[in-house]
Amino acid sequence: MERMLHHLLPGEKARVLHIAGGGALRMRMMDMGIVPGTELEVVRRAPLGGPMQLRVKGYYLAMRRGECAKITVDQPEPKQPLAGR
Amino acid sequence: MQLMKDLKIALVGNPNVGKSTVFNALTGSNQQVGNWAGKTVERKVGTVKRSDVNIELIDLPGTYSLTAYSQEEIITREYILRENPAAIMALVDASNLERNLYLVLQILELTPKVVIGLNMLDLARSSGRNIDAGKLAQWLKVPVVEIIAAKGDGLSDFLDAALVMAGTSPQAAISVNYPPAVEEKIVAMEDVLRPTVWAQRYPLRWLALKRLERDAELGKEWNSIANTNSVADATPACCDVGDAVTYELRSSTELPGEDLLQTFAASGWDHEQFEMAFADAKYSFISEIIAEFVTETPLAKPSLTDTLDRLALSPVWGYPILIAVLALVFWVSFIASAPLGDLISQGMTWLANMLVPILRLAHAPVLLQELVKNGIFAGVGAVLSFVPQMALFFVFFSLLQDSGYLARAAFLGDRFMQLMGLHGKSFFSLATSYGCNVPGIMATRTLEDPKDRLITMLLNPLIPCVPRLGVMSAVVAAFFPGSRGAVAMLSLLGISGITLVLSALFLRKSVIKTEKSSFVMELPLYHIPTLRNTLLPAWQKTYAFLRRAWTYIFAASVIIWSLSTFPLGVPLNQSFAGKLGGLLAFIGHPLGFDWRIMVAIIFGFAAKETTLSTLGILYGVTANASHTIAQVMTASMSSLNAFTFLVFYMLYIPCIATVVTTYKESGSLGWTLFGVGYNLIVSFIIAWLIFHGGLMLGWH
Repeated sequence: MERMLHHLLPGEKARVLHIAGGGALRMRMMDMGIVPGTELEVVRRAPLGGPMQLRVKGYYLAMRRGECAKITVDQPEPKQPLAGR
Repeated sequence: MQLMKDLKIALVGNPNVGKSTVFNALTGSNQQVGNWAGKTVERKVGTVKRSDVNIELIDLPGTYSLTAYSQEEIITREYILRENPAAIMALVDASNLERNLYLVLQILELTPKVVIGLNMLDLARSSGRNIDAGKLAQWLKVPVVEIIAAKGDGLSDFLDAALVMAGTSPQAAISVNYPPAVEEKIVAMEDVLRPTVWAQRYPLRWLALKRLERDAELGKEWNSIANTNSVADATPACCDVGDAVTYELRSSTELPGEDLLQTFAASGWDHEQFEMAFADAKYSFISEIIAEFVTETPLAKPSLTDTLDRLALSPVWGYPILIAVLALVFWVSFIASAPLGDLISQGMTWLANMLVPILRLAHAPVLLQELVKNGIFAGVGAVLSFVPQMALFFVFFSLLQDSGYLARAAFLGDRFMQLMGLHGKSFFSLATSYGCNVPGIMATRTLEDPKDRLITMLLNPLIPCVPRLGVMSAVVAAFFPGSRGAVAMLSLLGISGITLVLSALFLRKSVIKTEKSSFVMELPLYHIPTLRNTLLPAWQKTYAFLRRAWTYIFAASVIIWSLSTFPLGVPLNQSFAGKLGGLLAFIGHPLGFDWRIMVAIIFGFAAKETTLSTLGILYGVTANASHTIAQVMTASMSSLNAFTFLVFYMLYIPCIATVVTTYKESGSLGWTLFGVGYNLIVSFIIAWLIFHGGLMLGWH
């Protein structure tokens, strides 16, 4: 299932599909290890709409939600554990 | 006797890999700190003596990559290409291998003379990661030395390996396998570039990769090569050397490989596509080889960093902890250190009092005695009294940076900085400025983007520091007794805060014209900082401040003293400074300031905490108690006058030490003068609005 990275909640994992935009920001993301195929995990989201903490290739990276919104990720279908749905 | 050989060895690595630990341990106190020419990045060089060699060890700035997007990246690669060091010591964080090796692969494109220092193996092991260093060496075809920088283990071996590398002619470096579609384009570009001057200077493959990425620095470089070449082989018939426009046109149209780039772009391969493909190929290569020598065992319990972050970044406790940390740093550095500062200024007075009788004995003119006592010792002493607070602050700063907490503060502060269009790392710099603007400006060094740095630097002076707050609260207490005082003080801080936010937005939009800063920041693992790593940088920064105090601030003190002393034998209001105040009274008039206030404002430039004593002299108060002075002022000023003065006082040019620091840190006289002018104009406008608004509302 395709989602935007900034919609992911803490604990959710996904694989990078595509990074929108270009220039210095995308280059910086790639330098930090975010390339298509990279596995990410959202560790936490700072309160009040602050940045997100991600786990990438075994280290922690902080990025703003606006920047995460440039990253399309692919997430395995949720197993729908909630019986109520 | 054998001659000592000189060797250049460079230390390279990602930020937060312990590079400065290695550098400090190897060079000890034999290091020089400065700036890279024309850049605002710190340059550290040290010397190490081995039996028959003198090693010049250079600590290249920490960087994640070698593209041309940041100053650190450009400096690192230019150094490797131009200075051609005998060996490169690449420090690699074992707990963060993929991203670290990404940089190593880029370095290997520049030179094969690389030795890897695999650091923090202990941390990697404790997070369940086992690395076979021997296999890593085989895969990358370079020596790998295991080290634990924090304990000093393996550092000597690391340097020895670099020396061996320096003495051998290296084999060809490994190369990343690019997908066939990319590889054929690289080869095509190599063919185009092979006959150019570039190829004589740089490794061909690297050149081709950078050209395909349309690397901006390489383009600039070509222009300069093209220029020097045509000048060098200028025959009399050709080339009007002065015709820069022609060169510009010629070189920009003749950048080699342009046709090929156009062809590729037409088939969907523009420079961004190449950037992506190269990064992708490197990371794929790394994941492939890593599978061969790294074994991971998942951990049952969370790591130390995870546990600490759960607290430090918690939605509930994160901010209270941040405030507590800042409060502690503030209290110790700027408030508890006050007796030490007083001791220094008393010491300076004592020294001056000792020196004056000696000068008298030597029949030195009275004027010289006066200059020494009231000009030099009083002026420089006032600035030196800030040294203990700076030193203490810089110790905390190193502790916070090394431990990894500074990145957490940026993470938490980013939300607020975003409102001002700034980077999370600006938060700590601005917060520091409430203590003292000088370390606040020096703390902008942690910002990577030069424009973010500049904006943060220019904003710092708008924040009232502890000495300014002290003067302000004394005046507020005299004019606004009781609970009105708290309201007055809070509204002053509110005015400063609003000015700060609006200035941040204004500077980015209209003056420095740059996009909103981006925030992609590593949150390093927590470390226990070593004593040396804490004290050495703190000393280096304090020393830098001291050196400035002895040069610029010394000169400024003498100038201010001369203005207030000459012509000789007249009261202060008749001196040059007094006359200047009188001349400038027309500027103060719209704000309701009389000449005395103007004089105090001029003198405040030397050091803002002297403002009250200047006012004391002007109002004829002999006692030096700040409250008495403020009380006397109430007799000749309305509370509106006083409030307007406070607003102006809070926002106008900070002290000379701040201006000098801005100049040194920005490296630009133009921006320093802009900052001074901006402060003056903004403080005038806001004070004018307050004064006339107050008059209209009938407030006296």
